[in-house]
Amino acid sequence: MTEKKGHFDEDLDLRISPKFSEDLNTLFKPQFSVPSEVDRAIMDQVNRRLVQRHWRHRVFRHVSIWRIAAAAAVIIFAFSLNLTQKSGPITSRSVLVEAQAVDIDRNGRVDILDAFKLARHIESAESTDKSLSLVSSTGQALQKQGWDINGDGLVDRNDVDLVALSAVRLDKNKGVL
Amino acid sequence: MKEITAIILMSISIIVPVLAQQSEQDITTIQPRVRFAPLHIYLDSGNKSLAAYQFELKAVTGQIKIVGVEGGQHKAFKEAPYYDPAALANDRIIIAAFNTGSELPTGRTRIATIHLQIIGDAEPDYELKLVVAGDADAKEIPAEISFEKGE
Repeated sequence: MTEKKGHFDEDLDLRISPKFSEDLNTLFKPQFSVPSEVDRAIMDQVNRRLVQRHWRHRVFRHVSIWRIAAAAAVIIFAFSLNLTQKSGPITSRSVLVEAQAVDIDRNGRVDILDAFKLARHIESAESTDKSLSLVSSTGQALQKQGWDINGDGLVDRNDVDLVALSAVRLDKNKGVL
Repeated sequence: MKEITAIILMSISIIVPVLAQQSEQDITTIQPRVRFAPLHIYLDSGNKSLAAYQFELKAVTGQIKIVGVEGGQHKAFKEAPYYDPAALANDRIIIAAFNTGSELPTGRTRIATIHLQIIGDAEPDYELKLVVAGDADAKEIPAEISFEKGE
């Protein structure tokens, strides 16, 4: 224990002698006296600045709170709109939009007869050509007609289904009745 | 601390009315009587063979929801027809089908059955329109469409 005390110099005398204190006062004493008016003016200015800064800080904090609250309100409003219950996958929608443009019989309307005609074309082509890949001549002829609707390199039942689904789409034929 | 309290209060004041509105809507949809009934759709193509059809159905009065679609009576149209899945839980549907085979129905035949959820006591009225009917050559043919309410 005594060893520890010696190590940290806890008995060291930190008191300043009166003589030394008097010498310091003499050394750093102002050469002239500051009038009390000047002293007061400086203090007033300092106080004014501090008060201004305090208000600025408060106003800034106040505005920040409203910003956070507004952001929270926007997020909650967005959730309350229930955006997740929107229509089906975007990919299938875009494919259907493409299919809508396919009017196989060129009568200005996409209906089940378009899908039926495409299916008949495919069936008759299948009887002459074993494979309907676009490498085959029949496949190339069908692609030239723009009937590879899903763009998978084949004109097949999937393309027929897309035309048929396009024909029965609700948002396409609104107000038919 | 004051800021957090303000944010919490603000959030509560927005969330509570939204939740209250949603729960109110839920309660109102539960209240009315609900029953299920099929609606059979028939097409008469006369002496011509029927290879393709497309029609649209909607309820003009009453509150219905389409819950399912079934194929027809003849084996050419036994498979479930084409329809937009968005029509389910809706009161309007477009249904279509075709068959490229040679065995096709003639005369009056049931082409589809639509299963409905009828909400409330009022008997719904339907509007049915044939969009197109086609023969084996994919040519448009005249045909008459009708429906029968099932139990």
